[in-house]
Amino acid sequence: MADESFLTDDFLRQLINVGEVDILVGVPTHNNAKTVGAIVETIQAGILKFFPRERAAIINADGGSRDGTPELVVSAAIDDAQRSSRLYTLRTLHSISTQYASSPARGTALRTILAAAELLRAKACVVISPESTQITTDWLTTLLRPIYKEEFDLVLPTYSRHRFDGILLTNLLYPMTRALYGLEIREPYALEFAFSGRLGSQFLAQNAWHDETARAGSETQFTLTAIAGGYRICQSFLGTKEHVERRSADLVPAMRQTVGALFSSLEPNFSLWNTRTGSQPIPTTGSEREFNLEPLRVNRKRLREMFSTGVAELESVFQAILYPSTLAELQRIARLEEVRFRYSAELWVKTVYEFAAAYHRSVISRDHVIQALAPLFRGRVFTFLVENRNGSAADVEGNIEGLCLEFERMKPYLLEIWNGRE
Amino acid sequence: MPLKQDLLWYKSAIIYQVHVRTFYDSDGDGIGDFQGLDQKLDYLEELGIDTIWLMPFFPSPLRDDGYDIADYNSVHSSYGTLEDFRKFLGSAHQRGIRVIIEMVLNHTSDQHPWFQQSRSSQENPRRDWYVWSDTDTRYHGTRIIFLDTEMSNWAWDPVSKSYYWHRFFSHQPDLNYDNPAVREEMWNVMKFWLEMGVDGFRLDAVPYLVEREGTNCENLPETHAVLKELRRKLDEQFPRKMLLAEANQWPADLRPYFADGDEFHMAFHFPLMPRMFMGVMLGDRKPITEILQQTPEIPPSCQWCLFLRNHDELTLEMLTDIERDYMNDTYAQDKTMRLNVGIRRRLAPLLDNDRRRIELMNGILMSLPGTPSIYYGDEIGMGDNINLGDRNGVRTPMQWSGGWNGGFSAADPERLYAPLLQDPVYGYPAVNVFSQRRTQHSLLNWMGRIIAVRKTTAVFGSGSIEFLYPANHRILAYVRQLGNETILVVNNLSNAAQAVELDLRRYQGNVPIEMFGKNIFPRVGDRPYLLTLGPYHFYWFRLRRI
Repeated sequence: MADESFLTDDFLRQLINVGEVDILVGVPTHNNAKTVGAIVETIQAGILKFFPRERAAIINADGGSRDGTPELVVSAAIDDAQRSSRLYTLRTLHSISTQYASSPARGTALRTILAAAELLRAKACVVISPESTQITTDWLTTLLRPIYKEEFDLVLPTYSRHRFDGILLTNLLYPMTRALYGLEIREPYALEFAFSGRLGSQFLAQNAWHDETARAGSETQFTLTAIAGGYRICQSFLGTKEHVERRSADLVPAMRQTVGALFSSLEPNFSLWNTRTGSQPIPTTGSEREFNLEPLRVNRKRLREMFSTGVAELESVFQAILYPSTLAELQRIARLEEVRFRYSAELWVKTVYEFAAAYHRSVISRDHVIQALAPLFRGRVFTFLVENRNGSAADVEGNIEGLCLEFERMKPYLLEIWNGRE
Repeated sequence: MPLKQDLLWYKSAIIYQVHVRTFYDSDGDGIGDFQGLDQKLDYLEELGIDTIWLMPFFPSPLRDDGYDIADYNSVHSSYGTLEDFRKFLGSAHQRGIRVIIEMVLNHTSDQHPWFQQSRSSQENPRRDWYVWSDTDTRYHGTRIIFLDTEMSNWAWDPVSKSYYWHRFFSHQPDLNYDNPAVREEMWNVMKFWLEMGVDGFRLDAVPYLVEREGTNCENLPETHAVLKELRRKLDEQFPRKMLLAEANQWPADLRPYFADGDEFHMAFHFPLMPRMFMGVMLGDRKPITEILQQTPEIPPSCQWCLFLRNHDELTLEMLTDIERDYMNDTYAQDKTMRLNVGIRRRLAPLLDNDRRRIELMNGILMSLPGTPSIYYGDEIGMGDNINLGDRNGVRTPMQWSGGWNGGFSAADPERLYAPLLQDPVYGYPAVNVFSQRRTQHSLLNWMGRIIAVRKTTAVFGSGSIEFLYPANHRILAYVRQLGNETILVVNNLSNAAQAVELDLRRYQGNVPIEMFGKNIFPRVGDRPYLLTLGPYHFYWFRLRRI
């Protein structure tokens, strides 16, 4: 069992009062007062509707909110919903909260939830983002039932997304994870996911909590732990994922959390992925996901400019990371006019694999490796937007599938350069 | 020991429910009788109970275990004579034990002479003693209680060529309480037994006495008027006698049966009982505190009668669908254990013969506001026989010893009214009074101890209750108070050890004294009072300012 000394005495006291549970719902928060109350009420209603007999608790791990978020979690009550929908639970339903730090850290929040799950011997746990305003009561059963009833260990979501939403996911995380680990997990690094108590304990016990990258990309690590451990994984459809406008400055932190975690997983799991070829689908429940084709305004020109600027300004960095032929090709396309610009799938995969190998070899600071990938990714986004501008949902899906196959086809290249060429 | 002359004796009573047939056979015919019951009064006195509730012992065709009465003023020949009853009653009173008897007001057997006369012709003076109709469509909004056996509340009588009304089995026609002669005669029946010396009645099926079109024919004001009239006569002519209502209703619907303290003295709290089982199975106080929060205040002279098990199935009528499903799934996985809307099992098998849970349930029974009623045999952990039909599986002979017929009867085993339990866990060689008397820590001796402790204070019978709601939901805690006496009760409903912090600031400075061992616990201070409890453990503390 991992060291639990990071839990406060007050939180421990609350956990003692909750006791053993069957279902644990973790809600990591930080200044989510606008949304968290309604989300917790929906969670409560979902528990009453689908798990009325089970012992359940909602655990809020808060990163120092100043807007009353923890108080809203604890005081959220389903009385009105209960009256209107005749929901009823046989048992006491607990909602408790703890402040794990004075500033938010997703990894620490997850660690707190995992520790609570282990102490409460939870059979099935689910983490719900406090920003998921599209949540319905069905999410509870969709995510938890495979764990609770069908003995899966990890349930990841699938969503209906806008075709241009989650491009980091569709152009890097999904295809690379799939190619390396051989499983077609569509949302490998989700903010909503469910897991078994035994998987939670396994992840909690690992010693990576003191490593900054692992803490930051804890969800990513979590999925990779499940894959590496041979745990049973499935995915469930949750409905539409709302498109969230991200600022340009958000990209690097997002890449640290996801790409950084993916890259850092490669080293300890080398023996796992170096022999796998091809990929296999995993069990999926619920409706078919599909892309939303609503028009979306994206400033493509700015993306390409940031790519070209990056290639020019970071040349010395790229010289340490990329092989000369790859860098030369990137410099070539950086000079192309916008209408002729194309960052091909093959070049993109080659770039990513060379970055992964450079990360492994620590040719420069690993964080700089991740940061340096950001402008190149913007160039890839530009091409993805252009190629799918007028595409149908099937076309978009086809393009992503093609990219996945490219990642799989070029996996030997990654192995070849993993420790540097002779 | 003479009977206490307390007007409110029933508030501190401990009731023992027994059917004379099941207890002890004195004449070797295979059926228990009043002489046998008389011989076993020492046992009941030793156990510490002070009130016996007798199930119907009247002449009857016994198609509903005596609840189909054919003569109200006599004793069924299998159980003895009126003289035997009178002698038993005197013996009980000499020991300070009161006797309350069953009185089925709502209906008679179809073999009762009143019904035979009533059906004989339209002109018979007793024609209107029952509820007759030319059609079977009247009172159509009335539910059928015995869903497993009855299709309608009306039955066709080929003799009088009309329909008669019955809320229970069709061989139990309902009396017509709109008829003053019926009301008068039923009072005469009660008077007959009161004059003999019985101490009260458990009135069976009281919500159904009067019928009115357009209603569900339950709990009607006219029914309450009939009951109040009986109570008025009782108080006038027989003070210190008691009426106990059997009305399987929600607490709010039960409340009118107490009226202003001028209808029933006591009423069974039916909804609480299954929720106690649910709370212990769930390891969560919610079902218990919820129903008690919904339980209205009753007049000071009135009392709830609490029970864990009785002669009927563990009724699940006063539960929601989800609660009922849970109870069936957890306590009656074998569907043959289910009957009507309930579970036909005894206490010990329901609790998987877990001594800790049996003690906890009895501890709660004895400490919540009300008068506890113990079903015969549960004090030694008797089992049941679900292979016997109807509710007969919980009405098997009392197990007195490991000898011939379990010490119940000298008859050949084949002659017994019902077979004794013989399985290795609950059979009479394993579970019997004789062996438990010899073992200091037997369930029987433990029951004697908890009854003795309860009787050291009037708080449990008459005190107020205030629930504490510690954050640990597996702990059911409450404070009982009467005058200057305060008792803290803490129950761990779960199968694991628990720590609990109680807010006892109101009792700061008091010293808790555990009531069984009389050990002193640390003084209550201004901080949360920490207690740890083992699985299914409970404490009763007297809070003393020392």
